[in-house]
Amino acid sequence: MLRDDTNKYLPLTESTCYIMLTLVEPLHGYAVMKKVEEISKGTVKVGPGTLYGAFTSLEKEELIIKVKEENRRKSYVLTPKGKNVLMNQMKRLEIMTQNGLSVIDML
Amino acid sequence: MAENTIRKIKWFWAWQDEQEEAWLRSMSQKGWHLSSVGLLGIYRFRAGEPRDYVYRLDYQTFPKKDKQEYQQLFRDAGWEHIGEMSAWQYFRKEVKEEEPLEIFTDAESKIAKYKRILAFLWFFWVILIAVFPARGILIDNPYPWWSAIQATQVFTLLIWLLFTYIIIRLTLRIRQLKRL
Repeated sequence: MLRDDTNKYLPLTESTCYIMLTLVEPLHGYAVMKKVEEISKGTVKVGPGTLYGAFTSLEKEELIIKVKEENRRKSYVLTPKGKNVLMNQMKRLEIMTQNGLSVIDML
Repeated sequence: MAENTIRKIKWFWAWQDEQEEAWLRSMSQKGWHLSSVGLLGIYRFRAGEPRDYVYRLDYQTFPKKDKQEYQQLFRDAGWEHIGEMSAWQYFRKEVKEEEPLEIFTDAESKIAKYKRILAFLWFFWVILIAVFPARGILIDNPYPWWSAIQATQVFTLLIWLLFTYIIIRLTLRIRQLKRL
C-alpha cells in the first residue's frame, strides 16, 4: 500500500507542508514563495534557499514532478504519492487541531 | 588593478559562515562592496557609496543547467548572485523595510545546508583513510626515499585531522540548530 510508506515523510515541516499545498497546481519557485505567504496570511515566509532545498528533496522523493521549464524557471506539481503524503499530514494536523480546540478553554 | 578595487584573502570555517556574512556586510557599510569571489578565499571589493547590503551564503553544487535555474529563483526573490567559491554561493540584497533578509527561513533547511558540506567532508575523510596505507607504514626504513613517503604520510594525516576537526565542529553546529 502507498499509504504505509508515506509515513516516513511525516511530519512535514511547516514550510514543506505549505510548499506542497501550493503545488496542487503547477507553479514555479517565485510563485510558490508568494502564494505560501498569501495563504498562510503572512505567518510563513519561504526563502529561496529553503525553497530550492525543498524542491530538490521533494523531486528526489518523487513527491513533486517538474512539468514545465521556461525562462530558467521550472514549474512543479504534486505527484499522486505527494498528494497521499499531504493527505496524511492533513489528517495528523486535524487531530492535533481538534485536541487543541478541545482544551482551548482551559488554556 | 584599478585603484577603486581591493583584494583580500580571507578564510573562514564552515560553521562560522554567519560571521563571514556579517563581515561582508560591515565591509559594504564602509563602502567596500564585494564584486567577485575567487578560488582559495580571494575576495575583490569595489569602492562605492556605503550601503547596507546583507550577504548570505549557501552551499550548493550542481550541473550548469540547474545553476541557472537556482540563480533565477534567488534573483526573483531579490537576491543578487555575486559568485561562488568551492560550492559556496554568495548572495547579496540591500536592506529595506518589508524585505525578507534570509535565504533560509527555517532551522531544517539551515541544517540541510551544513549536511551538504558534511557529505562532501565525509567523502574525503574516507578517501584519505583509504589512500593512507597505500603509502606504507610509519616506521623506520633503510631506504633514503622513505623520508619523503613519511613526509607525505604526515601531511595526509594532518589533512585528515583537519577534516575530522571540521566534521566535529559542523556536527556540533547542527546540534545547536536542532535545539532552537
